[in-house]
Amino acid sequence: MSHSAGTPGDITRRQMLRRIGMSALIAGPGAGLLTACATGGGAAPASSASPAASAGGAVSAKNPFGVPANAPLEVVIFKGGLGDGYAVEVHEPLYKKAFPQAQIKHVATQQIAQTLQPRFAGGDVPDMIANSGTDLMDNAALQKEGQLLELTELWDAPSIDDPSKKVRDMVAPGTVESGLIDGKPYLMNYVFSAYGLWYDSALFEEKGWTPPKTFDEFKTFAETAKAAGITPFAYAGKNAAYYAYWMILISAAKIEGNQILVDVDNLVDGVWQRDAMKQSAAAWAEIGKHMDKSFEGLIHTEVQLRQNQGKVALYPSGSWLENEQKAQTPKEFKYALTPTPSVTAADKMPFEAIRAAAGEAYIVPSKAKNPRGGLEYLRLMLSKEGAKGFTEKSGNITVVTGAADGLELTPGNASLSAAQTAAGQNIVTFSSFENWYKEFETELRKQTNALMFGRISADEFCEKVQKAADKTKADSSITKQKRTV
Amino acid sequence: MATDTARKPAARPSAPAHVRRRRKNPIGAFGVLSHLALLVWAILIVGPILWTFLSSFKTNTEIFGDAITLPASFGWDAWGRAWEKAHIGQYMLNTVFVVACATAGTMLLGSMAAYVLARYTFPGNRLIYFLFVSGMTFPVFLALVPLFFVVKNLGLLDTHLGVILVYIAYSLPFTVFFLSAFFKTLPTSVAEAAMMDGCSHTRTFFQIMVPMAKPGLVSITIFNILGQWNQYLLPIVLLTGNVEDKWLITQGVANISTNAGYEADWPGLFAALSMAIVPVMIVYIIFQRQIQSGLTSGAVK
Amino acid sequence: MRQGKYPFIVGFLAAPVLLYVVFVVSPYVQAFYISLTDWKGISANPRFIGLENFTRLFDDEVFWAAVRHHGVLLLVMPLATLVIALFFSFLLNLGGGQHGGRMAGIWGSKVYRVIFFLPQVLAVAIVGVLFQAIYRPDETGVLNSLLGKVGIDPVGWLIDPDIALLSIIGVMVWQAVGFYVVLFSAGMSSIPPDVFEAAALDGAGRFTLFFRITIPLLWDTMQVAWVYLGIAAFDAFALVQVLSVDRGGPDNSTTVLPMEIWRTAFNFSKFGYASAMGVALFFLTITFAALTLRVTRRERIEF
Repeated sequence: MSHSAGTPGDITRRQMLRRIGMSALIAGPGAGLLTACATGGGAAPASSASPAASAGGAVSAKNPFGVPANAPLEVVIFKGGLGDGYAVEVHEPLYKKAFPQAQIKHVATQQIAQTLQPRFAGGDVPDMIANSGTDLMDNAALQKEGQLLELTELWDAPSIDDPSKKVRDMVAPGTVESGLIDGKPYLMNYVFSAYGLWYDSALFEEKGWTPPKTFDEFKTFAETAKAAGITPFAYAGKNAAYYAYWMILISAAKIEGNQILVDVDNLVDGVWQRDAMKQSAAAWAEIGKHMDKSFEGLIHTEVQLRQNQGKVALYPSGSWLENEQKAQTPKEFKYALTPTPSVTAADKMPFEAIRAAAGEAYIVPSKAKNPRGGLEYLRLMLSKEGAKGFTEKSGNITVVTGAADGLELTPGNASLSAAQTAAGQNIVTFSSFENWYKEFETELRKQTNALMFGRISADEFCEKVQKAADKTKADSSITKQKRTV
Repeated sequence: MATDTARKPAARPSAPAHVRRRRKNPIGAFGVLSHLALLVWAILIVGPILWTFLSSFKTNTEIFGDAITLPASFGWDAWGRAWEKAHIGQYMLNTVFVVACATAGTMLLGSMAAYVLARYTFPGNRLIYFLFVSGMTFPVFLALVPLFFVVKNLGLLDTHLGVILVYIAYSLPFTVFFLSAFFKTLPTSVAEAAMMDGCSHTRTFFQIMVPMAKPGLVSITIFNILGQWNQYLLPIVLLTGNVEDKWLITQGVANISTNAGYEADWPGLFAALSMAIVPVMIVYIIFQRQIQSGLTSGAVK
Repeated sequence: MRQGKYPFIVGFLAAPVLLYVVFVVSPYVQAFYISLTDWKGISANPRFIGLENFTRLFDDEVFWAAVRHHGVLLLVMPLATLVIALFFSFLLNLGGGQHGGRMAGIWGSKVYRVIFFLPQVLAVAIVGVLFQAIYRPDETGVLNSLLGKVGIDPVGWLIDPDIALLSIIGVMVWQAVGFYVVLFSAGMSSIPPDVFEAAALDGAGRFTLFFRITIPLLWDTMQVAWVYLGIAAFDAFALVQVLSVDRGGPDNSTTVLPMEIWRTAFNFSKFGYASAMGVALFFLTITFAALTLRVTRRERIEF
């Protein structure tokens, strides 16, 4: 990261994320999403409009990676909550415009691993992959096998909107860092998400409820909601147990500070049995008691539909939720975000703290037939036009600063920006173990369900998860990763 | 023996009803309980399938409301969506083509191998036999990744020919196991007589043994058709997302099932399910007697 | 005019054996080799690690949970299927009492048989998706909705660790019974009528007929049935994947080896370890198959 020009070398992750919190998503009509560029400079008038001097050579100002103009490009998109319209209707046409001779092959799938694993093994890989979903490929394993193209070149390439700037300077701080494996950038995390508890503000208003600020209030609220015939809190155990462990991790970080999440990622001995983790697990397990057992057998969209039907009050998720439910949400339903309640009075972070991070990894395989094209495709995604189109098509905000300027804010996004303003510099950090250690993550999901549906105590939960972490740490066949911030 | 008896059962039971009525034999407690048990099971079978059909006309809210209600209105929106998005028709045609070819190939090659292994002694017979039989016991998807390379190196990836050959290969173990047992039960005398008359081995097989083995062949044919029709893992690997137009029906159903989860379109899912079920049910109802006796007659012997 | 025996044998075996070796044997042999490596399934550089994967199996509790479940499946699934199928096929074929010494089936038996067999022609993938809605754990599930009508609280069919595996077995039985009803019906109709006549003359009732005559005479067919069902008990992959909580849960209570192999290979990228599990599954299945084949070996019948 030392060669990073636009980002001061000494900036910490906390500071970067604080800047997002402070500068991005300022509410109000006309206010831009992620308006202010983190490095301070506003986007200069795009000079790329003037034809680049020399377009004859393979590498030019307009074609910094030297993409062969007629080489075909294959793009594989995970067709989940974001759909694949953003690729078909926005990014691929942008690429086609830049390289009219290029044939673009578009593949949409939910089974990324099943579709691509054999192709990787066979050396017949696509040029760009949206590696996401339940069946995503293990990025760390891909990197270890030398299958991923390092993206330093991408981040250092000139931005399409302002060739005098590098791509890395056009994205929210922390974006590049969140895609590091072994200290080098391999993942382009594109979607900017905030996590917390989502609710229907219209319903709360009607009932005269306010979201709980502490777990004591949460318990009282749970009784109130139950009395009104509404499940106070629920998540989908069948396929989305991670929504629940996110909450446990966020609360633990609020109690002890972000270091605990860094230590979780680094598989530090005993991290799962620290007081903060135990307190957090116990607090959430207490809430879990108010949840109907049946939620363990539902998938996320089924639970989300129940929330839309007014049967669930608070639902843990990320900011993609509103868009994911777009078709199912009644028009009087207004999504709103509230931070996770405080566990103790001595919490290191205030109630307002939320988790916000760049996610949804896009990768370029190193052994692709047209990896330069893959890089160029990513660069196009990171242009303002590409990012704005993405937000329009998918309803999700990207890491590209200022790209969503002028777009109208939905209730959920308005609430999100208000929450971010309130959070200020209190941003809970991201977790990397989900990408690094799939096996451990699977065990954590299992134990989270066991904890939240009352089969084990918080102490047992912490003990079992610690055991799983120790097992991963001792497993010589798993490459260990490190993060510092 | 098997040849004669296998066809009988379906034709027989209709008679007793009249007989009983004529004899004024009252249905006793036993009869009532029997009917009750049978009826309950019949409802257990038909209920879920009927429910799937009805659900394709419901809205999401109705689906997640009271399960035992009729849809408010019968619109075909969900069917339209499923037809358009899930390409059920195309997948159905693909599957018919692949399964027809693969089953034909399986039967030809499988019966040839089974016959030789069952009726001829030669060094290596047992070895080859157990090689085939052990294939029944190995988990298919463990071979998926190596298999992918084999198919790819032969240039057959993403082709129906590749799927057909692989289907044949993976259907051989059970086919050979079953048919060789069947050939062993056939009398040797006829074949011997044919050979005495100067019939070649090949002619003896095709003109004498195959007709004699018909019940076994029919049953294993139907067995293979069903098995291959329902195959799920192999097409996922062998027909990748690159060739969606070549996909088979189970891939299509699985895909729309995942889609429904992500896009929250449950009526569409149930419509697609219904679309996949209906043709199979029609074929089954038309040929139910052949299917039933075919599937089971060989096993009885 | 007569071909030699060996050219004929070679001619008949060449194509099937070639196809089989190329598409089945060679991938499996490779899988055996992979089980001795730490292959990640991505690049072509597996490292040979000997039996490490196998020693690791010994203290993998998920692996043992899966093995136990195969034990349960092997016991409960065939037994339940056989009992139900025998009962129904008896009712359908002989339950109508006897008329002039001839046993008759119950009224409507043909329709019942058509209905019972129906699930057999549906793809497992379809059946799985269908049962998601049947087993849904709250009152919107079909089963729980029915229970609710008679005042019973919703049952967590797939979320209660104590009954989740049984619920999945229930689906397998649901799908299988019809096949065996038809199979046993065919078997019963091949029992010579004079056997029943003789028994009827001796004053045997329906229960005697069932336990003393039908079952012993169907013994061979039942053994065949057990082989089929046993092989099915080692699979169950599609149903577990589609139906269970978090694919094999809750708390590993429904996981089976194919599920773990799939997860280990495709989610954890540990193809070496997954292959080792596959080899273990192979030996389990082959043991079962060898035992059953020994029991049910058919003698060559000479006329």
